[in-house]
Amino acid sequence: MTRSDQLAYLKNSGSGEVEKKDIKFRSESRVIREASSMILDYLKPFGLDESGAFEIKLCVEEAVRNAIVHGNKSDPARQVKLGYWIEDGVVNIEIEDEGSGFKPELVKDPTKDENLTRNSGRGVYLIKKLMDKVEYIGPGNKVRMTKRIK
Amino acid sequence: MGVRVEAKNGLTVCHVDGEIDINSSPQIKKSFDKLISQKTPKLVINLSKVTYVDSSGLATLVEILKNMKSYGGRMRLACMSSKVKSLFEITKLEKLFEIMVDEESAVATF
Repeated sequence: MTRSDQLAYLKNSGSGEVEKKDIKFRSESRVIREASSMILDYLKPFGLDESGAFEIKLCVEEAVRNAIVHGNKSDPARQVKLGYWIEDGVVNIEIEDEGSGFKPELVKDPTKDENLTRNSGRGVYLIKKLMDKVEYIGPGNKVRMTKRIK
Repeated sequence: MGVRVEAKNGLTVCHVDGEIDINSSPQIKKSFDKLISQKTPKLVINLSKVTYVDSSGLATLVEILKNMKSYGGRMRLACMSSKVKSLFEITKLEKLFEIMVDEESAVATF
């Protein structure tokens, strides 16, 4: 895909706005892989390298899993909203659940010696390390993460 | 995802292939529970065919290690891809595990 093709792909029917994809999922474990596959398919035309694909897949799956398990308490009737778009070479991903939110600053650092064998907080930590920017919005039930595509 | 077990030079080598994630972790844990119940003394897990690991997969490997240590067993990880190894570096789990470059050295020096 040429640069002009990419720009054409990014523009939404002449409005000048970057097209944002919005999808809603039921809280079922199968959607974890569906969500990451959708985003990787969307990014394919932009020349995402193997390492970037691995990292984005991991971060999306960790965030969707947290939304389903911790946010929506695995209640299939509750929805997970997924939004994604690319702008100026940066992929933006938003994942929102219907839970009461959480405070990321209260998550224990899983890399401290005393926490290495604990199995909590590692997903949140990986997202923080692998994405360029991570924000928890509102009460913490929505995460927005961004990463420059190489 | 699959786990193949072989005896080699008096110790046990497990070859895992595919993805170690939230979907496959229960099955992987089950495969290793049998080795743990037999109190396998020395175990090498060859990860050369593992293409992806998520935090559930890392947690599963930590659980296997903890269970082995509970009876004095030892475990080594070998042949990780650079992407999988980077997760052990980022999460500092490299401090917890014995990580070897290849299966031969993992077996020969155990």
